[in-house]
Amino acid sequence: MNSRSNPSMTQTNWDLIRDAASGSATAQASLDAVMKRAWPAVYAYIRASGRRSEEATELTQAFICDVFLSRHLLEKADQARGRFRTLLLGAVRNYLADVHRRRHAQSRMPKGGLVAIEAAADGGAEFTSDGGDGSPERAFHARYLAGLIRTASERLQRELEADGDAASWEIFRTRVLQAAFQGDAPGYEELAPRLGLERGQCAAKLLVAKRRFATLLMDELRATVSDPDAVREEVGDILSLLKGR
Amino acid sequence: MMEFFGLPLHGGDADAQAGGGFEGGFEGGFDGGAAGSGAEDKSGSHAAQSLGDTLRWAFELDESPAIAGATFLTREIIPAARDPFEAIAGGVATLAQLEDLKGAYKMLRTTGATAPERSLAARLYAATIAAALVRHGALITRQSPFALAKAFEELSADREMPERIRELGMMALDALAKHR
Repeated sequence: MNSRSNPSMTQTNWDLIRDAASGSATAQASLDAVMKRAWPAVYAYIRASGRRSEEATELTQAFICDVFLSRHLLEKADQARGRFRTLLLGAVRNYLADVHRRRHAQSRMPKGGLVAIEAAADGGAEFTSDGGDGSPERAFHARYLAGLIRTASERLQRELEADGDAASWEIFRTRVLQAAFQGDAPGYEELAPRLGLERGQCAAKLLVAKRRFATLLMDELRATVSDPDAVREEVGDILSLLKGR
Repeated sequence: MMEFFGLPLHGGDADAQAGGGFEGGFEGGFDGGAAGSGAEDKSGSHAAQSLGDTLRWAFELDESPAIAGATFLTREIIPAARDPFEAIAGGVATLAQLEDLKGAYKMLRTTGATAPERSLAARLYAATIAAALVRHGALITRQSPFALAKAFEELSADREMPERIRELGMMALDALAKHR
């Protein structure tokens, strides 16, 4: 599969955003790739802001249409602005506040059609959480990170299988991903005979796979920041956001 | 139930479906507890912790000394071990564990990320064979006595190894002579 048919495989978020806004031949594919990456975190934010599942889906869809497809976000998304994560979070936060304002304005509007001026001053405070426990921000960041990990995992799987090392992928999948998402993982005494390896070999393969995954994950993180030196700060922020959940 | 790499998702399935316009099911299992039950929140918490650990591990990778890989392998096989030296020379490891460690270090000799890591793995490989011979009277390799003696000598002479590992090399030399 080449990068033209699937730009998300090779391009950074910023590359994709620029291309999506460029009107190039690959703009639509790039836009799809950006939306695919953004969707879960945007949905998580809206859902955690108190919306029911169906409404959150509709609002996420509307956000994609109003903000992504109208290219307002893309126009603002030059690399000087820093991190894709914070750009996206700010956009969805503002979008919800706008939705709130519009709904209030409509409900307050007299039949004569006068604009309720006070609505414009309503900052939609309930949508600008301070990031405390269970906040929309925490949900957003958690799913944002999960998305990065998924992308890195998919790349790892492709690479290992291309190397003819499906066993390493199976060990990583079960010992790392399954452990993370199901809370348990098979021991080496179960994995080793299934894969035709010794237990120690399984552990060594896991080390190699995990290191490779770490490299890919850092690649993914670097792709979301404009300045490579900002990766440390980005990682620190995400870790502190996940801490104590 | 949606899956991610064959992993069935848990918790917040409705959210996973609804939020999964772009395969969001993976995250649905991760954080479905935003408006879900206590059980969902607990699993989400576990995943958040795991993901945080993975990210931290990835970030600190470049700063790891040569022993980090060997320590990881050691703890995969003996979770309570503090480091490879303690695991091998401490006298607590079972014969099966020493065999597992031997297999892990053997592979690390060739797959290690750096020359110092590969070099350390070679020493630890010899040390596990030495420990099996000294502590359990078992020869867990098909290497020739000559090759073994050379490896044990080098182990006992390596000033970068902890004293107890070098002593183990000396004791293994004696044990090998008796074993012949």
